[in-house]
Amino acid sequence: MTLTWTDWQAIAVPLVLAIGAVAVLLIDSFWKSASAELRHTVVTLLTSAVILFGLVFVWAQRGGFKPAFCRPAVEGPAECSFVFEPLTAGLWAVLLIGGLGVVGLSSYRLLAADVPIGEYHFLLLSALTGATVLAGARDLATLVIALEVVSLPSFAMVGLRRDRRGSEGAMKAFLVSVLSTAVMLFGISYLYGVTGSLYLTTVANRLSGLDPDLARVAFAAGLFVIVGFAFKIAAVPFHGWLPDTYVGAPVEVTTFLAVVSKSAGVAGLLVLVTTGIAPDGSHLRIVVAILAAVTMTVGNLAALRQVEAVRLLAWSSIGQVGFLLAPLAVGDAQAVVGYLAAYVVVTLGAFGAVAVVQRHRPAGLLTDYRGMVRSEPGLAAALIFFLVVLAGLPPGLAGLFTKFAAFQAVIDAHLGWLAIVMALNVMIGLAVYLRWVAELFRLPADDPFSVDIETPAVTMISLFAAVAAVLSVLPSVLFALGT
Amino acid sequence: MSQSLLIALVAIPALTAVVLWALPVVTGERVAAIVGSIVSGLLLVGSVVLWWDMGRLHCPCTFVGTSTFGPLPRTLPGKLSPLVDIDVSWIPSLDVRFHLAIDGISMPLITLTTLLVFVCCVYSLKITPRIGRVRSLIALLLVIETGVIGTFAAADLVLFFVFFEVVLIPMWLVIDIWGDDHDRAGRRRAATTFVLMTVFGSALMLLGFLLIHRQTGTFDLAFLGQHPLKGGHGIPLAAAVLIAVGLAVKMPLWPLHIWLPDAHAKAPTVGSVLLAGVLLKLGSYGMIRILLPVLPDATATIAPYLAGFSVVAIIAGSLACLAQTDVKRLIAYSSVGHMGFIGLGIATMSPEGLNGALYANLAHGIITGLLFFLAGAIKDRHDTSDLRTIGRALYARLPRISGLLTYACLASLGLPGLAGFWGEMLILLGAYHPADWLPRSTFIVLMAIAGLGAVLTAAYFLRLIRDLCQGDPAEYPATAFAVDLSRIELVTFAPLVLLTVVLGLWPFTLLNEWWVV
Repeated sequence: MTLTWTDWQAIAVPLVLAIGAVAVLLIDSFWKSASAELRHTVVTLLTSAVILFGLVFVWAQRGGFKPAFCRPAVEGPAECSFVFEPLTAGLWAVLLIGGLGVVGLSSYRLLAADVPIGEYHFLLLSALTGATVLAGARDLATLVIALEVVSLPSFAMVGLRRDRRGSEGAMKAFLVSVLSTAVMLFGISYLYGVTGSLYLTTVANRLSGLDPDLARVAFAAGLFVIVGFAFKIAAVPFHGWLPDTYVGAPVEVTTFLAVVSKSAGVAGLLVLVTTGIAPDGSHLRIVVAILAAVTMTVGNLAALRQVEAVRLLAWSSIGQVGFLLAPLAVGDAQAVVGYLAAYVVVTLGAFGAVAVVQRHRPAGLLTDYRGMVRSEPGLAAALIFFLVVLAGLPPGLAGLFTKFAAFQAVIDAHLGWLAIVMALNVMIGLAVYLRWVAELFRLPADDPFSVDIETPAVTMISLFAAVAAVLSVLPSVLFALGT
Repeated sequence: MSQSLLIALVAIPALTAVVLWALPVVTGERVAAIVGSIVSGLLLVGSVVLWWDMGRLHCPCTFVGTSTFGPLPRTLPGKLSPLVDIDVSWIPSLDVRFHLAIDGISMPLITLTTLLVFVCCVYSLKITPRIGRVRSLIALLLVIETGVIGTFAAADLVLFFVFFEVVLIPMWLVIDIWGDDHDRAGRRRAATTFVLMTVFGSALMLLGFLLIHRQTGTFDLAFLGQHPLKGGHGIPLAAAVLIAVGLAVKMPLWPLHIWLPDAHAKAPTVGSVLLAGVLLKLGSYGMIRILLPVLPDATATIAPYLAGFSVVAIIAGSLACLAQTDVKRLIAYSSVGHMGFIGLGIATMSPEGLNGALYANLAHGIITGLLFFLAGAIKDRHDTSDLRTIGRALYARLPRISGLLTYACLASLGLPGLAGFWGEMLILLGAYHPADWLPRSTFIVLMAIAGLGAVLTAAYFLRLIRDLCQGDPAEYPATAFAVDLSRIELVTFAPLVLLTVVLGLWPFTLLNEWWVV
């Protein structure tokens, strides 16, 4: 098989990300003479440059359609393993912005000193490589491999600090991930056995013409694949690993898990649904819808009782995934990508703010935030804005309209019961975030949080707040990503 | 010019709030109330100018209001007929437009809002909750003003929803931070119940809007008013039920009113005034503007139930008032009863009932605003709003305040000649002549029960006057430091007192405007 020019173009971004990953690892290992600050800065700049290349590529090619690694099929159009299309461009934009945000939040003095920066950025870029491939993958083998390329570096990042909590979190995530991969491979092998192909389009075509007995097998196989993904994105009841892993990892790594890993899992599931593994009216979509309802309810209810900031964000991110699964269950790619984009920006911001507080108050309790509107007005205003966007209320119109689009998708697909569950969860979710907002507003505080915030943190958090504000005024930008 | 004025009315309060928050703390605290008073005063002037301008451009020169000349036209007010219109594309992929429009129905409510916010800001010049933080309080009041004016002016269902939600978090903060300082847990619970119930209601309302969109392909109120969604069952019925429930939480109708007594009782004075004066009107306005014109057949299906719940609200609210021992809670429950009247008026689907509902909306806003101000004044002087602790014989101790309280109570119970009378009278008339497609006998029974409710209203207000104002002065000696009506109170209460008389003696200007629409 020879690589054509289109193939090279389509995989340019993952390729550059992979090369960048190797480059930062080499620079960090062979350039020990430089000071830590210089090395950190160079590595950060190089990583950012590589990711920016990806963003520029996405912007330049946003309308394009590039099928890659194709082979002529016996009947019908050619089968391709990898496709760059507008949906891919939207997902890549979200993933790369997420990655860039994490890199920004991990600049010098922000990332804990005991985290080795070379490995950290290497793992981050490797996971991004996997994530971008995942969003473009159009055959089951590529899908699984890409998902593993996202997952493995993620656990390594959780364990980077090499203390007890980190190791425990990494171990939990690793075991769950291995299990989920096994489940998924089992499902894929059945799908292959039933349809005789690994290409998603061909699988989808043949699924519609199966005889009823085989269709039942295919349903079970699809179920296994979805369960595999459900583990990765921590949908309830496959979410048990997530809170401990989030708390065990350094905050920057938690941000990465919440933003990039989660988006990658959603992207993979979206690819599966939109290419027709779960066509309109299939039982698999009902399964995803039920998964969505259970996930958002359990996630939000559990978040209601948390007293630590990171744990609250961990549980509420489960709730957010539930909301993401709702439009996904009806195959509305535009609503999913829009929601994901808004979620990524404000989650980066919220974790950025938490990281600032956590560096000075390691306990990470919600009460640490008491009275911050007076003692740290800028940071408090930004954090309140991020939380309000997550809750989906004005002034956080970016969150409101992405939730609105999710509602619209569900209503247009005649899933009234899911819409009611979502309405209930808007209420519970609001209760979750308001508890935190109330702490920020409470005065007078005995020991208000007030520090000299590091310049890169100020820059990044202001940037996220500005982006979220722009998206609130012009929400149509969000929905342009998915089309 | 009208268009820029409308934009200014919506945008300036929020922008002022941002400016206030951007000021340094010390300066901010000092100038907040002054800035707030000036800005909200200008907005009040602006809204009056806009109203006048609108009337000049579109003069309803035919005079049909007085019912002595021939039969009344049986057209329902509520359909949006934009007199000032701003329509900009916003989110094309979701079919959402930034469409603001006002007409004779929304304009009086917008003016009521600007008036009450102005009065609240002026009141805050001198009288503020003990905890201070005036800057944030004023800023939040202004954000609430933006949300309310935006809701009244929205001509797109999604925009209506967005502005409807703008109000929530500021009001939650107002109750949570500046609420009753004797009962910290209570005020938190009150604020949270308020915000959560309302947000759930509005989410249900949104589902109704989305169902309308699924059937008609548009969110535009002006278009939907011309091309309503026909059909009294199936999807239109589901949409109507969802929207009615969502708005009924806000309004609130029995049995969805459970957030109201706590929220009103625990909120600071200005919070209670705005909550009762304008926020409740969002619900009834939504019913008149959205439910009736857009889903006429489905509304006809649910109207008898709506009327039934409204009448239960009237009776339940009045009975609850009879049992209250807290003056703020009593006024809060009286709102339940009055909003029940408004709900009944809407449910009759008759011109009389709807005009009555619209009129009662305004009257209730002014009178209940005044009542909460007076309750706040009494509470400030005694540091409690408990009737037994305050004691009796307020006529002797605080003659002016208790005189005004009696006046407001009489207005609220519907004394002819004051503002409260016309709305309730028209609503009862509407229940006597409900729309042709509604069961008339049911409505006549409901009318009779509602009339009984009006008697109960009189009963509890008279009991309040007897228990609070009358009594032997010798038993309840005046506290030395309690000043009667201060100057700032006089200034802030005066417009409300005057308007109560004006609306009571001169109802036809407003009623004509709606009748012609």
